[in-house]
Amino acid sequence: MTKLNQSLFILLMVISMISCKDNHNEYHNLIDKIEAQSINFQKDSVFSNNQFEISELVKIIDNQPAFYIKNRKNKIESYACSECHDRPLDELQTENLGKRAHWNIKLIHADSKTMSCLSCHNENNLDNLHSITGESIDFNFSYQLCNQCHNKEVKDWKGGAHGKNLSGWKTSRVSKLCIECHNPHKPSIEKRWPDRFNTQMVDERK
Amino acid sequence: MTVLRNLIKDSLIYLTHGRKSYHIWMALLTFIMLIGMYCYSLQLEHGLSVTGMNDRVSWGLYISNFTFLVGVAAAAVMLVLPAYILKDIDFKQAVLIGEGMAVAALFMCLAFVVADMGGPARLWHMIPGIGVFNFPNSMLTWDVLVLNGYLFINISIPFYILIMRYQGKVPNPKIYIPGVFISVFWAVAIHLVTAFLYQGLQARPFWNNALLGPRFLASAFAAGPSLIIISLAVIRKFTDFKIEDKTITKIALVVTVAAQINLIMLISELFKEFYAPTHHSESAYYLFFGLQGKAKLVPWIWTAITMNVIATVILTFHKLRNNLTILYFACSILFIGIWIEKGFGLIVPGFIPGPWGKIAEYFPTPTEIGVTIGIWAMGAFIFSILVRTGVAIELGKIKFKK
Amino acid sequence: MSKERKKWFSLNLRNKEQNSCGCSDSKCSDPSNKKEDGISQVFDVNMDRRQAFKKLTAGLVIGAGAVSSSCSVVSDEKSKEKSQIEWEEYFKGNYKLMSDEEKRKTVNRLVRSYELRNGKKINISSKDAENDVLFGYAFNISKCQGYMDCVNACVEENNQDRASQMQYIRIHEMEDGKGLNFGESDDTYYHEVPAAGHFYMGTQCFHCDNPPCVEVCPVQATWKEKDGIVVIDYDWCIGCRYCMAACPYDGRRFNWTTPEIPENEVNKDQHYLGNRLRKKGVMEKCTFCIQRSRQGKNPACVEACPTGSRIFGNLLDPKSEIRWILENKKVFRLKEDLGTEPKFWYFMD
Repeated sequence: MTKLNQSLFILLMVISMISCKDNHNEYHNLIDKIEAQSINFQKDSVFSNNQFEISELVKIIDNQPAFYIKNRKNKIESYACSECHDRPLDELQTENLGKRAHWNIKLIHADSKTMSCLSCHNENNLDNLHSITGESIDFNFSYQLCNQCHNKEVKDWKGGAHGKNLSGWKTSRVSKLCIECHNPHKPSIEKRWPDRFNTQMVDERK
Repeated sequence: MTVLRNLIKDSLIYLTHGRKSYHIWMALLTFIMLIGMYCYSLQLEHGLSVTGMNDRVSWGLYISNFTFLVGVAAAAVMLVLPAYILKDIDFKQAVLIGEGMAVAALFMCLAFVVADMGGPARLWHMIPGIGVFNFPNSMLTWDVLVLNGYLFINISIPFYILIMRYQGKVPNPKIYIPGVFISVFWAVAIHLVTAFLYQGLQARPFWNNALLGPRFLASAFAAGPSLIIISLAVIRKFTDFKIEDKTITKIALVVTVAAQINLIMLISELFKEFYAPTHHSESAYYLFFGLQGKAKLVPWIWTAITMNVIATVILTFHKLRNNLTILYFACSILFIGIWIEKGFGLIVPGFIPGPWGKIAEYFPTPTEIGVTIGIWAMGAFIFSILVRTGVAIELGKIKFKK
Repeated sequence: MSKERKKWFSLNLRNKEQNSCGCSDSKCSDPSNKKEDGISQVFDVNMDRRQAFKKLTAGLVIGAGAVSSSCSVVSDEKSKEKSQIEWEEYFKGNYKLMSDEEKRKTVNRLVRSYELRNGKKINISSKDAENDVLFGYAFNISKCQGYMDCVNACVEENNQDRASQMQYIRIHEMEDGKGLNFGESDDTYYHEVPAAGHFYMGTQCFHCDNPPCVEVCPVQATWKEKDGIVVIDYDWCIGCRYCMAACPYDGRRFNWTTPEIPENEVNKDQHYLGNRLRKKGVMEKCTFCIQRSRQGKNPACVEACPTGSRIFGNLLDPKSEIRWILENKKVFRLKEDLGTEPKFWYFMD
């Protein structure tokens, strides 16, 4: 009987050795695996799948890797601002122009000590925006303005962690501009109702 | 070949004759099996939505019964070991009964597994060669192997012995002893492997502990022999088969020790869960005390534990254990108590609360209960057939006539 | 003794009819048992050799019927083709082991079968994983406002059962100050969002790199593809639900009944391993929209989220957004101690 015992024991050992999981994880964890297997992956051109036209996009190059945003300027209906604002603002304010263009725009962005219309708009050149230091900023690159106070969010946005990506994972990134989600005059996002109510799940838990 | 054909012919003739009570029993079982078949046809038609299972509690009554019955099947070996290896004559008569029970329980296990499958027509996908058999990674494949192997052993060994006796010859120990020896180890294996099915899931902390396997063995060796004792009592009453009191009291001793170990393990589990409760103890809280107002299983588990404790206490006292009537009572409540505790009280709480903490309670639907009862009836049916034939051959009522 | 068990699940309907045949019918009682009493004559139907014979013939008849319907010259061309397709589909092997030719054939069969049943055309892709791609996903907890746009987009994209309101994604509304307390979170909220004092987290299949579901499947119907997506071959799954028990993240869903999708809502751009139509009794789950991601697009949930809380990309591209997040934001994963290595990270602003 002991011989039988012995042979059974050996059989068990053999089985346990050959039945070890064939995961063969040469990497200790997932991050090691990612770092080891990373390659110089070339993303496709953003125009390769006919999702966007060339005229639609503007390239942002003050970031590595470069990414794209949509051209805003050619979408603003009343651009160029200088078509109406051809004389100084205080002169325009004396004229009785009535309810024209953006007559009722309210600024609900930070407080009066921080922001006023002229914080972003250059009253001498309304076709462009300007920074705190007075440097001109094109409307397409309005994120540079936001960057002055919201530096952290803009850094995240440039990296891809903030904001909406309009292209797929395989092509160069096309991001939404800040102001496409956040109205610069009223940037907070409104509440709304959710899109779905799962009654089955509620029933299941009764 | 003629021997086999004659055996089958003689058995069939013998099986279709008997006392009125026998016929009523078989008829009742058939009727219940038909109900089960009808319920199963509903399930085949509409899918498993006719059961009470859902995405959170995805295993229910079927797998609970399967788990419990694997234990019952494993326990048959408790009679095999003393009878053949220790050559204890007292056990010899009971062995065939025990192995018949193992076969019936195994068929029930297989039936429960098939009943639980979402796609039973695709079960051939498991056959190595024409399908894909994910051995050794998946514990389910181990379970398939050990269960079918055990079934094979438990059919072939008694079959060999019976066919020898049928011809009036003496079975050759050199042929059946090795098989018997293997089946002893195999019985432990089937229940450990079934326990490992649950024990290996890191997603379910209620099962993912070291004690589950040993606990399964202890409760199996308490519940299985209990059922055997009750069957022996019935056989003693209804047939001429002589079973000594000694046999029954010896088996009762096995049940007692196993029940005591089972209680000790229960205490160990309760201590672990409730002394310093963690997030992982939530399933135990749900089972024993209810959680967030949901307490469907609480009366069941406390009934089960009460039954177990009472039965164990009764069995511990020699005077009570050796009184056969009290013994039968203790065995019955022990069997039912372990059925609840190991079936319902183990499988369902493993899924509650779900992975994200939500509680979706489970209760079987009438269709599910119908299929379950149908399968139990089938098991009783197979057991009755096997015992009837086995006893008849042992008593010499069926003999091979050249 | 095993005759009853082996036949009962395939012939149960026939059995019922046969067994319930009125026992006043003389065929049911065995003439050799005349000496028994009336009760045994009535009830003694089940142990006859006759019974076994009846069942065998029933099986043969069904089999013959199946054969005849596919070989008959008079039956409809369409139904012949249908049964031919069903026959071949039933006997095909595991998708993982198929050659390209076999994959093409099964896709064609499925497309043709849909056309025969509904008269509409779908296209099913069997596009393989690309090299040097490993998909990863990031979820911004600060940005999610609990809109559940992602859930709806996922359901529509992936042809999930409408009757049971199956959804792969769950959005949990959690209270501030209680940490990640899933036990007290609510995922069936229906009120204005974001609710004050709460934040939102979404869960779905995390496509683990060491998936416990893949380990336990007895037939290898689920596996991890080369690009990291954990997929299911719906025709190979036997419905044992072991993977569902093994998943710590509630990633898997089971079709307890035949899934129903209104025909006009069926997404006809499908992938064999993704959003093609499933049948009852099989498992399904999020596939990172394999039909989209293998075409270079983002999954539907990523596309639909208006706040941009969901980020998807190639982990092996050091210049991707997902890698930037892993390197620059404080990321974590759920139930990290279970060793499953999910490819789904959470972060906050």
